[in-house]
Amino acid sequence: MFFKRDIGQVSKPGRYLGIEVNARRKPLSASGANCVLVYPDVYEIGMSHLGLAILYEEINDRQDSMADRAYLPWVDMQELMERKGIPLFGLESRVPLGLFDLVGITLQHELTYANVLRILSLAGIPLRSAERRDSDPLVVGGGPGAYNPEPVADFFDFLLLGEGEEVIHEILDAVREWKQAGKKDRGGFLRRCASIPGVYVPSLYRVHYRADGTVSGIEPLEGAPMPVRKRVVADLDQKVKPRRPPVPLVESVHDRCSLEIFRGCTRGCRFCQAGMVYRPVRERSEDLLHGWGRELVSATGCDELSLSSLSSADYTRIIPLAERLSRDLERKGVAVSLPSLRTDSFSVELASRVGRIRKTGLTLAPEVASPRLRAVINKELSDRDLLEAVGAAYREGWRKMKLYFMVGLPGEEEGDVEAICGLVRRIMREGDGGGPPRGLRLSVSVSTFVPKPHTPFQWARQISLPETARRHFILKEGLRIKGVTWKWHTREMSYLEGVLARGDRRLGPVVEAAAREGCLDNWSEFFSWDRWRRALERYGLDPAWYVERERGEEEIFPWEHLSAGVKRSFLWEEYLKALRGEPTPDCRYADCMDCGACDGKEIVNRLAGGGR
Amino acid sequence: MKRILVKYYKKGDAAFLSHRETMRVLERALRRSGADLVFTSGFHPRVKMSFSPALPLGVAAEAEYLEAAVEGEPDLEEMIKRMNDALPEGMGVTSLQVMPGYMPKLSRWARYGLYRVEGGNGTLHLCMRLDGEGGGRLRDALQLLKERWGVEAEAVTRVGIYASRDEILEENPGKVYFYHAGKGELEEMEGSGAG
Repeated sequence: MFFKRDIGQVSKPGRYLGIEVNARRKPLSASGANCVLVYPDVYEIGMSHLGLAILYEEINDRQDSMADRAYLPWVDMQELMERKGIPLFGLESRVPLGLFDLVGITLQHELTYANVLRILSLAGIPLRSAERRDSDPLVVGGGPGAYNPEPVADFFDFLLLGEGEEVIHEILDAVREWKQAGKKDRGGFLRRCASIPGVYVPSLYRVHYRADGTVSGIEPLEGAPMPVRKRVVADLDQKVKPRRPPVPLVESVHDRCSLEIFRGCTRGCRFCQAGMVYRPVRERSEDLLHGWGRELVSATGCDELSLSSLSSADYTRIIPLAERLSRDLERKGVAVSLPSLRTDSFSVELASRVGRIRKTGLTLAPEVASPRLRAVINKELSDRDLLEAVGAAYREGWRKMKLYFMVGLPGEEEGDVEAICGLVRRIMREGDGGGPPRGLRLSVSVSTFVPKPHTPFQWARQISLPETARRHFILKEGLRIKGVTWKWHTREMSYLEGVLARGDRRLGPVVEAAAREGCLDNWSEFFSWDRWRRALERYGLDPAWYVERERGEEEIFPWEHLSAGVKRSFLWEEYLKALRGEPTPDCRYADCMDCGACDGKEIVNRLAGGGR
Repeated sequence: MKRILVKYYKKGDAAFLSHRETMRVLERALRRSGADLVFTSGFHPRVKMSFSPALPLGVAAEAEYLEAAVEGEPDLEEMIKRMNDALPEGMGVTSLQVMPGYMPKLSRWARYGLYRVEGGNGTLHLCMRLDGEGGGRLRDALQLLKERWGVEAEAVTRVGIYASRDEILEENPGKVYFYHAGKGELEEMEGSGAG
């Protein structure tokens, strides 16, 4: 009835229908685990997320379990639901979230933390794990945010570290068993879950603080593991999902099908959390990907197949794979695209060869413009490489290019920021083989560096708001170049990201207070630093202490009990090398650096050419 | 190259898909139909197809049309089957035909929409033009119905799309009101009205 009468009042009701092609629409089961997978942002963003699509299929392929989906409704729908007393429901079943056994929420970005609480409150689920009764759903987290979930740890019953497609089955078995035994003794059930490798139960760890606010120790309770280690799928050729992903009804941000060609990246960029936590590199085999890609196109009717990974040009068999797929799909009006490319002419030529039928914008990410900072972040690239890449793209017909830069990296001086302007000017002056690339429109996007846990820069300070403003001023002055536009990340958003990224459990009440007054912090029209500043003040916490403080070698991090594989000693060595400007080679082509991500037996770099 | 005319319905929750979303869903279904589709040229090729005029959000439809171009000899039975497997619940293809050469383009003949308006005090039919000339908004017509006859529309369904008013009267012998957007009037339709 709610649907018939009211859904027409909200914007884009297609987001709430749950009738997507390939949606499984399985009924809830009396004995097996009923799950709802939640992306804590709007439908258009959540439907583009590959991780949840994989888990959706893993769960729904089981006879005894089902998975529905939910997203954060847009503000008009939130308001309508509250006014009508309709709790947040699973899109396909229209059953309120509170009636599922497991609510799985992915933590992709710190600025969605308030959304997580908004979702729980719209669903009427008690916010804190400690307040939930036996009959309430288990609220489970995952995704990169699980590597330091401490600011939201109080709101989760447990979190999964690392790749979910194997551990999810162990969880579902445990949930089914618990359910069949009548769902009694939730605490005991959580203790049992803690013995499953990769499962982190925050309530089983007590954090001790010093007077200065730093962590003095993390104490595991009742035999909880120390540390909790991430799960990794050794051989991705054994895990081939999704095969029939639900197709978004409403246009989504990445309106295409993703073919995940490999996981992990060992280039070793020191700022990059993904590059550290998703190690080692595991490539899928070329023939498997070729068949799977065609299968995805015919199962979804999509018009673009994206060869996705952290750096797609690094895939060993990229040229034959991309050429075979684009040859087969071109006739069907389907474009093959490469979303994350290196900044070199090889990548540009590759993009051009596969992108025969569509030339949308080309994005390159030089990150920094001075040789000194390139050495700091361990991203080998010269001005010449970039100029050649731009020149190659220009000659191939691209007239719109996007360049990504970062400001605020460790050791950065204002001259390094001026170098960004210099490099951009040089591209516009001599990007076409020494002459100006006429008609080229360059869009420069600048973000503020936020140090992330489990990276070499986890010890580093993030720049303050005035320092960021100064850098933006330099760019504003220096990028007044015809044909160039520039965009920057809202300073306060990066600052908040910095507070939460390396935050501790004392931030729990702050997130709760900020979420009571609003959400959608990653949407500039709803973001309010003031709301967060007031919440921090109320609990006596200083954002600068979290953001701008350089940590010492001995500091115990709030995430010390969580392991992403890579060793602390390796990260510290990398930090020192960064400060000295020393390179670290890629272990795919050089010797093992003993970072700790491999086990030397099953969990190792696996290349599609058969190499290890 | 052959032109094919796809007749489809859209009801239940699917009525809440916008025109744009409906087009996307149908394009994907066509891509999965096994037919050898014709694409537009240019940097961003699209399936060559056109649709009957947009339906307002929330209005169900029993017979909408889509025209697409295909190469070779399409297997129409197979296409219907595959398209129906590739459409969301509430949408389906009811017929598919190769358009004879003399048949005008969809945009040339899709001129009148016939709506079934169900209210608390019964059901009536409403007709209005869909094209620019004298075409009004369904919302205004429903408002007028409410003001003049106290008809509170609870469910509105577009039952068909026609080339002329005569065609409508031939198929629907009951009383049909015609919404004249220019005059802002509702008038009872008679057989002899100009098309």
